[in-house]
Amino acid sequence: MTGDLPQLLINGLLAGTQLAVPAIGFTTIFAVLRFPSFAIASHATIGAYAGYIANVWLGLPAGVALLAAFIVAGLFGVATDEIALRRLRTSGPLTVAIASVALTIVLENLVRFGFGNDQRGYALAVLRDWRVDLGALGMVRIGPQQVQNAGAAAVAMGLLFLFLGFTRTGKMMRAVADNPMLASLKGIDADRVAQLANFIGMGLAGFGGMLVAMDTAVDPLTGFRVMLSIFAAAVVGGLGSIPGAVLGAFVVGVGEEFSIILLDPTYRTAVGFLAILIVLSFRPRGLLGERAI
Amino acid sequence: MENYLLAMAVFAGCTALMALGLNVIFGLAGMINLGLVGFFAIGAYASALLTVKLHLPLVLAWPAAIFAAAACGVAVALITARLRGDYLAIVTLGFSEVIRLVASNEIWLTNGTDGISAIPAPGRGVLSPLLFNLQFVVIVWIAVGVAALLIARLSAAPFGRVLRAIREDDVIASVAGKRVLRFKLQAFAIGAGLMGLAGALYAHFNAYIAPDSFQPLVTIYVVLALTAGGTGTMRGAVLGAVLVVALTEGTRFLGGVVPGLAPVQIAALREAIIGVVLILVLTYRPGGIIPETSRTHRLETS
Amino acid sequence: MTLRTSRRAALLGGLAAPFVSRLAAAQTGPIRLGTLTPQTGAGGPYGPAMVKVAQALVGEINAAGGVAGRRIELVSEDDETNPDAGVRAARKLIDVEKVSAIIGTWASAVTTAVAPLCWENKVMLFTVSGADSITKLPHQGYIIRTQPNTYLQSATAAKYLASTGAKTVFALSAQTPFAVDSYNRLSDVLAQGGAKAVGDVIYDASKTSFRSEIDQALKTKPDALFLNSYTPDLAVILRELFRAGYEGRKFTFGYAANAKLLDTVGAEVAEGLISFSPSPDLDSPAFAKVRAILGAEPDPYSCQVHDHISLAALAIGKAGAGTGTAIHDNLRAIGDAAGTKITSAVEGLKLLAAGKAVNFEGASGPCKFTPAGDIEGCRFRFDVAEKGKYRLLSLI
Repeated sequence: MTGDLPQLLINGLLAGTQLAVPAIGFTTIFAVLRFPSFAIASHATIGAYAGYIANVWLGLPAGVALLAAFIVAGLFGVATDEIALRRLRTSGPLTVAIASVALTIVLENLVRFGFGNDQRGYALAVLRDWRVDLGALGMVRIGPQQVQNAGAAAVAMGLLFLFLGFTRTGKMMRAVADNPMLASLKGIDADRVAQLANFIGMGLAGFGGMLVAMDTAVDPLTGFRVMLSIFAAAVVGGLGSIPGAVLGAFVVGVGEEFSIILLDPTYRTAVGFLAILIVLSFRPRGLLGERAI
Repeated sequence: MENYLLAMAVFAGCTALMALGLNVIFGLAGMINLGLVGFFAIGAYASALLTVKLHLPLVLAWPAAIFAAAACGVAVALITARLRGDYLAIVTLGFSEVIRLVASNEIWLTNGTDGISAIPAPGRGVLSPLLFNLQFVVIVWIAVGVAALLIARLSAAPFGRVLRAIREDDVIASVAGKRVLRFKLQAFAIGAGLMGLAGALYAHFNAYIAPDSFQPLVTIYVVLALTAGGTGTMRGAVLGAVLVVALTEGTRFLGGVVPGLAPVQIAALREAIIGVVLILVLTYRPGGIIPETSRTHRLETS
Repeated sequence: MTLRTSRRAALLGGLAAPFVSRLAAAQTGPIRLGTLTPQTGAGGPYGPAMVKVAQALVGEINAAGGVAGRRIELVSEDDETNPDAGVRAARKLIDVEKVSAIIGTWASAVTTAVAPLCWENKVMLFTVSGADSITKLPHQGYIIRTQPNTYLQSATAAKYLASTGAKTVFALSAQTPFAVDSYNRLSDVLAQGGAKAVGDVIYDASKTSFRSEIDQALKTKPDALFLNSYTPDLAVILRELFRAGYEGRKFTFGYAANAKLLDTVGAEVAEGLISFSPSPDLDSPAFAKVRAILGAEPDPYSCQVHDHISLAALAIGKAGAGTGTAIHDNLRAIGDAAGTKITSAVEGLKLLAAGKAVNFEGASGPCKFTPAGDIEGCRFRFDVAEKGKYRLLSLI
């Protein structure tokens, strides 16, 4: 079995990069708005469909379609928050979280109403894996598309870091995440920051949703399939921490692949929660704590 | 029609029992729990297995189901005692998914995704469907009534006041000399036990359970029942449960009203309407239809 | 549609008001049939086409004058691919809509959950679910399953695989009630044919990648892979097999390899995929009709729903009464080997009205049933995906 470890590690890391993007989206919204948004699932689905329209109907290349997925899902995020969730924030985070479940049901079904349940695929050629000889560690195979997706994910994450670290608006967002009270004393417009968090968070969810759909298919359940893993990644890393979400995504991604050594593959979903329990037993605020945005 | 309404009354009763259980855990003690369906499943499986495989009578199987769910409740509470609310939400959600995975995979015990069928119930096949349903309505709603009364008394007793103190601020409560963890464990045990009872009643009424019967959506409907009805009050929890079942079932009758839609569009519209109504209720009745009167300030869970 | 009929019923009732008893109204009003299919949830890719076929067929029967002088009214419910929702919907169909038959249950858990309600209320249940246990549970003859059971399907698959010269077969199965049974049967029959099942992985179909599962399978270097999947997970698996450079045989069920699959994964990835489905004769008019209704190559479930509606209508025509019991009692009589061979309900109803015997052959096969409610046997067609299209390989 140990001969498989390099391959399992690679599989896990590639799965992790795919998970990292929507997990960052989820954690960004959490950092600013302080509630776990289940609507991440439907926005990932919306992103996948936006990318489909751009790629298949309009014939745009995948890179542009990913951008479309980001923007459309982001705009939906801002709009749905404004319509459905904003007024509930005073009722406490649980109420908003529950409303976000209701919201995700509504959006999933609007997609279903418009597009039906049929599976759709992007106009992308599927490429054969590279085979790499690691000498004593044996042969491994790596998917060029997965590497490309990982690259796209890395670019998205990099841009977010630059935005948060070096722009005024980004710094404002961090200030609100760190201490909303202090931020409002400094005159930062909390509503605008909330809108921005929703745009970026749901936009990343949409971007991640399209990455997932490239490997699976576009259908109304695209986002729902990865929702639990996204939650697990964000919690393991520390809710509200962006580097934490990335780290958590790798822990969950690699953990799920490695679990195949010990557990039936049908228990893979349990791995994320096992990781949560182990990590939280030692670090109740996740691997990287919460202040790292 | 009467048969259908009676069956829905049974489902509403099960939802009400779960909402009452959640009322103890969340309404009184303020602990977020999105793993309700896990306790519901444990009660259902415990009672079903004891009666189908060991042929125990219901009078033993139902208490055993309550006990099994309560014991799991204590275990979950112990594991999650140190976690903050938002973590608790996701961890408990994970717990219920793990229960479902175990039920799907441990075929030797649970019969896997095939599920357990022919779960016995008094009078099945002997009574007419109408009388059979009626009998279950009586059993389930007596259970709801007794549970509501007991929890209302508990809530008014010192126990309830301590729980509310913990809900508002567990640091102050512990400074005041209350053993916070013990009270939290007790609250969890009572709440989970009620959900286990709901599961047992559901399993025997339905005659069949399978892992897919216990999807997270069940939890969401119960949380909605409690929030819509009025967190912290017994009448609110029960009323909310009835409303949620009325909403999810009532929307089935919309199909004939909207012409020119494909069935998949009608199904999508139905689920979307359920979601929209839930958001509207949360928006316009944030304290629930029957708000808690005795509380001192708004429920904050963070 | 419902509104209009009830107005007409009210009009009729008004004319004869003083004398019409409830019983008489029940004998002249429409006969109600219900569909209970997955429109949402994991079965969502299948349900909509099933109902489309049911609606078209009911429309056709009504346009030809209905059954025994009465219209058929179709009520469609969504089971949400969830046994709990399925039971509630079935209760509505039975208790409120008073249907005589429930048609098209897909998930085995939903069928198992709904079955006792059906026989307790003497409502006929027509299902496409595959789990062997379904017809073994008590049902007093109120279940008819048009889907060949796992035992038959797996044996057919194994025989075919052995005949292609595959010596080793690995199974990748979505977690379903029939995954284990299916592998065991596959393994037995392969052994009889001089081949060998070298292992299986049961996976969680809701995951989005199966790389490590596939590595496990490919490590055994099998001659053939038996993909016991549904469309969404099959799409992922085919892509990953392509990437991994797997060149061996790929074999799956016809319901997983539907027309949409080829669009989703593209021609290159699906190339060489062999699928099999229960099938009627090649020139079957019933099959052609389903194709015309859907405007696409029919999937096995839609074909079976065509047969469910036809069987129910013909049994009612034969009995001259629209109850579940009437369907139950007359179902097997419309497959009368001595009767005229028919492939459509409309044609059969005319013959039945003239007092003639009929022998129905549907879009999914001959529709002869064992006492337990399983089909007695059927032919299977094997198709291979070539350049983005399915090509018929053989019919056995």
